[in-house]
Amino acid sequence: MALALAAGFGLVAMSWPLLAAPGGALTETTSGPWLFALLLPLVTATAVIQLTEGGLDARAVAMLGVLSAVVAAVRPFGAGAAGVETVFFLIILAGRVFGPGFGFILGCTGLFASALLTGGVGPWLPYQMLASAFVGLGAGLLPGTAAGTRAGRAGELALLAVYAACSSILYGLLMNLSFWPFAFTQGNLAYVPGGGLEENLSRLLAYSFVTSLGWDVGRAVTTVVLVLLTGPLLLRVLRRAARKANWV
Amino acid sequence: MTGRAAMRTTKPPPEARAAANRRAAAHPVAWWGWALLLATAAGGTGNPWVLLLIVAVAGLVVTWCRGDEPWSGAYRVFLYIGLGAVAVRMAFYIVFGGADGPTVLLTLPSVTLPDWAAGFRLGGNVTAEGTLAAAYDGLRLATLLVCIGAANALASPRRLLRSVPAALYEVSVAVVVALSVAPQLVESVGRVRRARALRGNTSRSPANLMRTVVSPVLHDALERSLALAAAMASRGYGRAADVPAPARRATNAFLLTGLVGLCAGAYALLGAATPAPLAWTVVACGAAAAVFGITFASKRVPHTRYRPDRFGPRDWAVVAAGAAAVAGTVLSGVFEPSALWPATNPLSVPDLPLWAAAGVVIAAAPALLAPSSRGGTP
Repeated sequence: MALALAAGFGLVAMSWPLLAAPGGALTETTSGPWLFALLLPLVTATAVIQLTEGGLDARAVAMLGVLSAVVAAVRPFGAGAAGVETVFFLIILAGRVFGPGFGFILGCTGLFASALLTGGVGPWLPYQMLASAFVGLGAGLLPGTAAGTRAGRAGELALLAVYAACSSILYGLLMNLSFWPFAFTQGNLAYVPGGGLEENLSRLLAYSFVTSLGWDVGRAVTTVVLVLLTGPLLLRVLRRAARKANWV
Repeated sequence: MTGRAAMRTTKPPPEARAAANRRAAAHPVAWWGWALLLATAAGGTGNPWVLLLIVAVAGLVVTWCRGDEPWSGAYRVFLYIGLGAVAVRMAFYIVFGGADGPTVLLTLPSVTLPDWAAGFRLGGNVTAEGTLAAAYDGLRLATLLVCIGAANALASPRRLLRSVPAALYEVSVAVVVALSVAPQLVESVGRVRRARALRGNTSRSPANLMRTVVSPVLHDALERSLALAAAMASRGYGRAADVPAPARRATNAFLLTGLVGLCAGAYALLGAATPAPLAWTVVACGAAAAVFGITFASKRVPHTRYRPDRFGPRDWAVVAAGAAAVAGTVLSGVFEPSALWPATNPLSVPDLPLWAAAGVVIAAAPALLAPSSRGGTP
């Protein structure tokens, strides 16, 4: 329930440029981006508190810490190169094994820890955390497949690969949305305050097409390749750890 | 340890003084507050002189106040990112067009995209006025980024993590574990590779590396997490604190009310049907309920803190210095609005708004209030 509300608010906070109706309160002022940038950490904190209600036990905290460390350690490998993103395959696989709640928190803590380690804390961080939390959440919500058989394992891998591609593209679009109104204020591709949904959506798509298509496709390809390459091994390792910790 | 022992003697040796100084660096929340206020001031003006002054002030304070931790170099990185933002903004102006003016610098071959690709014009006239407007705009974004970079360089993330609300205690412990485990992973990779080389395995094929390096390192990390969990549990960590059921229900109710209020407020703000004051009130109520819920949830966790990090008068002074910059921008907006947003058409040299400049100069006070032991060496 809290998660659904937080998800709803997060989506609105990211896509407000598209939804703001002409004549509404937000189109009269320039405070829209700042308002949502300030409220997003609050909403993320509320959702995390609701998820950890009653306290995570020590094993979950330790597992979360170690997996966040792995996320933080593999993230620099992808920095800079055109859209090579080395974070999502881990979040997706861990979300798949440990469930949607764990995936959500791992998406938040992993990116937070890596931002702290590299000094990359900025206004984009809440958006990145929430967007990658959704990636982990969605991976945990995927339908189960027949475990144990060869066909079941292959099917699971295919499912995860398709999900990886979709979520990487959607993540790119969400991140574009979050900084697009800040980044460009004039010209053909800029956001028009109060311009209505069709106008701004076509501008957004053109903007994404021009600026970040390479990045998005690169992210989707690397994530799918990494899921396919490391999936069998990582799923086995994570499931073994889960069995030893007696969660599943 | 040496620092504490030495402080009891009358005249501490220099290194002990340095250690004491470092411990007494200003509170990370104060640094973030200062930097965000400075960024707010930068967001409220388009005057290049004020923006450059803000960048200079941030650089001065960072040079004087930072320690020598790994994140202290963040300012320079963010400076480069800021320069990149200016360059990208200019390139976008040149390719996609924007504000126009009479002074044409050069004319690029122009293409109009077909209708299915949104019908935009590419290329065309590049005017001095438009270039200047794009440069001012990019400079404003760059200044915001540089302010964030200053906060990154100055505020210690470890101390910042100690200031998170107690309700987020478990998650902050997980982040602390992550911060300490990440360096161990590097060491673990080195150990596994050495063992692999000793066994005579020097194959470089990815499949082999996967099986003989990645897999052991992961197993090692997960084993370590289970050992850590056992150690934490045996020291009494994670014992469920007994919270009375009504209190837990009240916390839940507050958090949910807050979320519902925020969602409804966002909906009201975005739509045209609700009057603006009502929408803002709903958002404010939702935020207040969420904050109240978080503080209420923090009460349920009876954790003690080792050496709590107090927010002292000097930290307030740092925040106040940042607030002076915002106040200066607001005063300039009242008395000299034309200097705050200089016109680029016709071309002219912008005036310096005095109030805003004075406020930004006051914001440099933390350089004197909280100098680091490293002194003025960059």
